[in-house]
Amino acid sequence: MYECRKVIQSPIFLGLFLLFSVYNIYLIVSSSDHKEELKIVNELIDTYGRDISDTSLAQLDQDIQQEMTQLKRSAGLEFQSVHELLENMSLEEQEAYSQEHWNQIQQLAVKEMYFNTARSIDESYAGIDIQATGEGEVRMYGLSGSSASYLLQEYEKLDKRFEELVKNGEQKQWFFAGKAYFMHSFLFQTVFRHIIIESLLLIVLATALITAYEFEQKTQLLTFSTKRGRKLMKDKFSASIAIAVATMILLLGITLGTFFIVFDYSHVWSTSISSAFNWEYNFPYIAWWDISVGTFLWLAAGMVLAGGLLMSCLTFALATVVKNSYIAFAGIALFFVAVLLLPSFMSKSSILFFITGYNLSQLLLGISNSFMGGGLTGSRNYEWLTVSCWTLIAAGICFAAYRRFTKTDIG
Amino acid sequence: MLVVKEVSKQYGDFTALRDIQLEFETGLYGLLAPNGAGKTTLIKMLATLLYPTKGEVLYNGNNIIDMDSSYRELLGYLPQQFGYYKNYSPKQYLLYLSALKGISKKEALPKIIELLDKVALGDVVNKKMKKFSGGMVQRVGIAQALLNDPKILILDEPTAGLDPKERARFRNLLTDLARSRLVIVSTHIVSDIESIANEIIMIKNQQILYKDSVETICGTLDGAVFETSMEFEQLESFRQDHVLLSEKQEYGKMIVRFIHKETPLVDWLPVQPQLEDVFLYEYRDETNGTVQ
Amino acid sequence: MRMILNEMKKILTWRMLTFLLLVNTVLYFLLISFDIEYFPNGRPALDGYRLGIEMIEEYGVKMDEEDMLDFSRQYKSLKKEADEYLQARPEFAAAGLENYEKLITSDWNNEEQQKLSNQIFHEEQVDLFWELQERSRLMEFHDMKEMIGFEANALQQKRFDELLAEGKYQAYSEVVIQNFKDFIVHVGITVLFSVVLLISPFILKDRTRRLLDLQYTAKVGRNLYKTKLIAGILSAGMVITVLLAFYFSLYAQNGTSPYFGLGVNAFIANLTWYDPTFLQYIWLCILAIYVIGIIFTMLAMTVSSVVPNFVTLIGIQIPLLFVMLLVGFKILLSHIISVQSPQWLVPCLYGLLSIVSAGLLIYLIRREKLRDILE
Repeated sequence: MYECRKVIQSPIFLGLFLLFSVYNIYLIVSSSDHKEELKIVNELIDTYGRDISDTSLAQLDQDIQQEMTQLKRSAGLEFQSVHELLENMSLEEQEAYSQEHWNQIQQLAVKEMYFNTARSIDESYAGIDIQATGEGEVRMYGLSGSSASYLLQEYEKLDKRFEELVKNGEQKQWFFAGKAYFMHSFLFQTVFRHIIIESLLLIVLATALITAYEFEQKTQLLTFSTKRGRKLMKDKFSASIAIAVATMILLLGITLGTFFIVFDYSHVWSTSISSAFNWEYNFPYIAWWDISVGTFLWLAAGMVLAGGLLMSCLTFALATVVKNSYIAFAGIALFFVAVLLLPSFMSKSSILFFITGYNLSQLLLGISNSFMGGGLTGSRNYEWLTVSCWTLIAAGICFAAYRRFTKTDIG
Repeated sequence: MLVVKEVSKQYGDFTALRDIQLEFETGLYGLLAPNGAGKTTLIKMLATLLYPTKGEVLYNGNNIIDMDSSYRELLGYLPQQFGYYKNYSPKQYLLYLSALKGISKKEALPKIIELLDKVALGDVVNKKMKKFSGGMVQRVGIAQALLNDPKILILDEPTAGLDPKERARFRNLLTDLARSRLVIVSTHIVSDIESIANEIIMIKNQQILYKDSVETICGTLDGAVFETSMEFEQLESFRQDHVLLSEKQEYGKMIVRFIHKETPLVDWLPVQPQLEDVFLYEYRDETNGTVQ
Repeated sequence: MRMILNEMKKILTWRMLTFLLLVNTVLYFLLISFDIEYFPNGRPALDGYRLGIEMIEEYGVKMDEEDMLDFSRQYKSLKKEADEYLQARPEFAAAGLENYEKLITSDWNNEEQQKLSNQIFHEEQVDLFWELQERSRLMEFHDMKEMIGFEANALQQKRFDELLAEGKYQAYSEVVIQNFKDFIVHVGITVLFSVVLLISPFILKDRTRRLLDLQYTAKVGRNLYKTKLIAGILSAGMVITVLLAFYFSLYAQNGTSPYFGLGVNAFIANLTWYDPTFLQYIWLCILAIYVIGIIFTMLAMTVSSVVPNFVTLIGIQIPLLFVMLLVGFKILLSHIISVQSPQWLVPCLYGLLSIVSAGLLIYLIRREKLRDILE
């Protein structure tokens, strides 16, 4: 593919790609202080199984007590819980422990934290009032009229799903403690947003470069009068898509590869994404379907790919019309932000407030909340509707731009 | 007036011109060479766009690079390719360039109208240039070179894109201009300058081959140019042995013009050498045909 | 002069200006509008803002101990007012909330009490109660005025003690200064993007359109490059001025002018190396935006002078802008005189960036003089 070469041989593209990769690796490695602590979950899953049941929990309790007794004996201490021990410990006391003892205390503290969280799952889930949350949202965003009733309906559906989730026990599976480590947000918000923004920059640049290349190199008279003629634009389109896919796969691969080398996820792949341990902020993650962490990762990556490809299509269309990569790049960047802001210009009493939220920018930037209920983009159909609507839009625009191109004069 | 003194130009390892020695006085000079012989390099050095690797160019004894703006003030230059702003009219464009040439707006405006009339663009003075044909753009280029009434006028392939009528008009304009100034026209189209140049400069192997009047240069082939007719079938073998200058068909036979430096055959018709003959002879492909 | 104007006309085309208008519209709604529309943002920010103005009117720009005494006297009398208010409403007494003290220490698990408290603060939004809360917060700050509030290094501590010795301590609500800092960073980002978009293509365009042959053989010759750079800087300056004028005219709606005479160290959590008034601080930030804008104009022109095409032009500037967004604006604008950066850092960065960007241009001017114009 000669068209792809135009990008691959451009040093700036490779330079940026490398820079982004290095930055992502740095980002992950520099936030990995707690990676050792995370391994405790793997240990828990190995020992007690993925699902948390009363019996396995009792077993865990027993083991913790046993370890504690051991610790008490060997360190000559008296305490009810490790938490209490740590709370009352001064720095000097801490330094008095041998490294081995200290590690043991730490380990136990983490286990105890997991145990306490697991024990209180039922209680905390019983305290969740989905309907009330919905009403709270309506108040918070100041919704009224059709938009308010729409949101309340969504929350009603979510309520049913929530009941089903609790019945299935999806929440009772071991995962890294959300309130302590925020692993879901770190991976799907911080890391994924980096990947998304970086790959969008690369994709839009590459697509603009390929599409407007002939006009900027002043070779348009030659290339579009060859046998291939204006169908060359089709090649350019496929080349842009190919580059986009390659860019995203490589960037995802490098970044996520680093992530999973640094953080050991090997035991939690099949844990439900709606696990109570994944509860980070005020509201737990409630996925519309029973999906595991692994599946969620694949879905998120798939949405990145879809989003990237759609942006590539839109860039292609714009660059075909304006024939200038600078304007195309700036125009698409502008468009991305403008679409992101679109809902805030809609009346808060109108259903348009939600419809305009079904856009690519919101989908991509809110990827950590995708397939989850709650919030403004929490509808069950949000993801696939957004992607398919935008596929239609992008295809239409691309086709129109191509048709127009086949008929314009090339000077 | 203008002297090129032992000038060489190298781009890295590649030598474009070697030890060029030239002198120009008032009049019209034709710089004739095939593409890639270093014509544009020489011209760009005269226009101060390129710096000689060795040697210097002097105007009335002063190095043109040291003269800086006082040299460029005397210079009118039309590059082979030049840019313009699509949304500018010729008038805006020439006003822009006259500012760069240090001509006040008051002086420039009548001059611009006059020049655009001269190149037959009087009726599109205010039209945007993006709709212009190649020839029209080229004529705007010619007009801009004359804006500052230059003492030295350098034109690189000026006739590109001009139709025959425009060419003829342009030749007259050049003769006119060359009466009071130095005009250097680079071209590979012999007929553009054959009839009007005081002297022709030819470059070969990065060096000056000729710098002389048309007659003198043609004289180098005196008695060596012939025409003859033959059957088409004979042509191929004839080509092997001679340097062919042209071949045309007439009454079912081939009429061939060629170079021959030894004793000619009787039925060959000796003809007067033309500049084009010298050009074709000097820049022939060495592999094809041999001179006998 | 005519040449500079000609070059500026090439930069400030209608097309480009329309595009800038679009960019600014989007960035305004993305970044700036919040700082204008939602100021003060809810309560108690509103009360902090109102109270600050009241304090400046009554005590001037510096609160001494006497003022503080008066302040707490007022607090007490307001509190009495609040008690009376509560007593006038039987439902509060019935729920055991017969005075202000009881209201704010109400039991979290007592539904009745929570409902009433919510009613008075959120549903009825009774100013008196919000104001009391804010007043007590400011008094608490005053009581802790000798504690720096964060882990300070020796130099920071020294600066803090210095201010304390001068009787300058943090007494006024931080809403105003915080809002301004947010606003100015957002304006800075908007201005930076506008300027970079405006200037970047300019020099590259003349090069790729093959205009140099004609330009450099005219009388002005290669000095035109310098003219272009000047035209670029002037155009950027003009755009910056227009944008700043526009955004500050919007900022005027925030009604922060009563605070202008206040030293910036008088705001809570705003410890700085120097102690300009708020107005001086605003001017300093405006100056900083000009400097940042011009530095990036120069960098954009540098890049524009060397890259072969638009994509490279954008690509090279992406990391530069990224760094500005991630840390640059925080250090160079938000913390411009804050003790959160070492005192030498910000001036050094400005110096370094200016020298580098200007140095690159000087190098390019020299290079342009000696360069073979081939393309």
